[in-house]
Amino acid sequence: MKAFETYHPIVLFAYFASVIGLSMFYMHPVYLLITCIGAITLNLLLNRKSFISGLKFFLPMFFIAAIINPLISHDGEIILFYIDYNPITLEAIVYGFAMSIMICSVIFWFGCYNVVMTSDKFLYLFGKVSPALALVISLTLRLVPRFKHQITVISHAQKTIGMDISAGNPWQRVKSGIRIISILITWALENAIETADSMKARGYGLKNRSTFSLFVFEKRDGFLLGIILTLLFINILGSYFGVTTYYFYPTFTELTVTPISIGLYISYASLLVIPIVIEIREAIKWRSLKYNM
Amino acid sequence: MQAQSTARADIYSRKRLIFSSIIIFVVIPIIMLIGVTIFNDRKYNLISMIIVLLACVPFFVSFERRKPQAREILTIAVMSAISVAGRAAFIWIPAFKPVTAITAITGFAFGAEAGFLTGATSAIASNIFFGQGPWTPFQMFTWGILGFIAGLLGQKGWMKSKIALIIYGVFAGIMYSFCMDIWTVISYDGLFSWKRYLIAMSTAIPFTIVYVISNVVFLLVLAKPIGEKLERIKVKYGMLNN
Repeated sequence: MKAFETYHPIVLFAYFASVIGLSMFYMHPVYLLITCIGAITLNLLLNRKSFISGLKFFLPMFFIAAIINPLISHDGEIILFYIDYNPITLEAIVYGFAMSIMICSVIFWFGCYNVVMTSDKFLYLFGKVSPALALVISLTLRLVPRFKHQITVISHAQKTIGMDISAGNPWQRVKSGIRIISILITWALENAIETADSMKARGYGLKNRSTFSLFVFEKRDGFLLGIILTLLFINILGSYFGVTTYYFYPTFTELTVTPISIGLYISYASLLVIPIVIEIREAIKWRSLKYNM
Repeated sequence: MQAQSTARADIYSRKRLIFSSIIIFVVIPIIMLIGVTIFNDRKYNLISMIIVLLACVPFFVSFERRKPQAREILTIAVMSAISVAGRAAFIWIPAFKPVTAITAITGFAFGAEAGFLTGATSAIASNIFFGQGPWTPFQMFTWGILGFIAGLLGQKGWMKSKIALIIYGVFAGIMYSFCMDIWTVISYDGLFSWKRYLIAMSTAIPFTIVYVISNVVFLLVLAKPIGEKLERIKVKYGMLNN
């Protein structure tokens, strides 16, 4: 039911670039809350398993990072208590948690990015900007599994002549391991030259060569891209006029509730929920289709 | 033929110099200015990511404009793939990565540009396997520039001795750790603070030590055999000579 992924790579990239950029940018508590909830919801929809297993790594990081801040920073007006004559302030504690929320949200958004922007989409986009470098990256990605396969082939062959990495004392094992790597590199380099010559023979680097890709920019992609860019623009405009600035030091800025600020909160939230809405709409569509059958 | 190609290489390196100067002296300050004035706030985490990405651009552009041969592309891809596979093979020891060493060895043999590209490609490709994050641009730049420095040192012919390799390995490990800590610190305070940087560095000391050890070990074990293989390929097929 992954509906969001089926959009054109440029739309997906624009979405993640704006969301991650804005998430890093805002320290306003309402914005932090929105981005954190948005990131967690989308992660639960897209990659529930790896997100939950990753939490046991991120939660301790979250708390440690939050606790360190009041120990380092003694700015702020509301002093709670003293440790070694150093004031521990409420502002510093809250700021520590706010920062942790921001960093964790950014990492969570990257988690969604990793699921949605698969390497083929990334390379398709990157190839438009820098074809030679995209070719290097895509060859690298292809070579890694190939090398892994070749390592097993080489180590089987080495086993037959008594150079087994799983037998003998540690020194012998290391020696046969290095031997396998050395053989792999010789093979890989010779093989690379052969591949390169074959590419050349097929006309690599000549003019008028076309490329093929499966991605088609449809009307709905244009529509969504328009929405994303409009919302991004609105948010940048809002921060330009200082509606979203928030200070923790020397003491908390008061939260203003004006029509403009509420409008901005809504625009930010609607940018973030785009993929969630798309996923849910698709799920409902499927359910009703099943129902009618 | 030889003279012609060196003249062309000269033009390219001059073009790259102009281009990188424009980026370093014009584009990056403008972005910093935007960060300071328009957003009048401490948003250096985003700005620093953009700056680090921009710092990679001159290298990519000059590679792109040179219209590289298939053989160069393949060699860089092979070396990056070996470092990515190596990182995957040692994933069970935290921070123990052969990427810096293999990037440096490529730099020694093929020069500064190939070193930079191998480092940057290894960062992008390995993070496609292990997950992209805010650290990707920093890894790209750090590994790239370490490969670049290795290339410059290698062309001077200084990297033949074991002592030079050990010094480079220690330097590279510390520099990698320093550069990767910067983002943590900037994103935490919004701006760069020495106090927090020192704390981040001291908590990262175990990692720094592992970086240094892995660099030195991999360089000592791999520099000679891989270096010889790369030299052989270079002589046999006459490539990446500029």
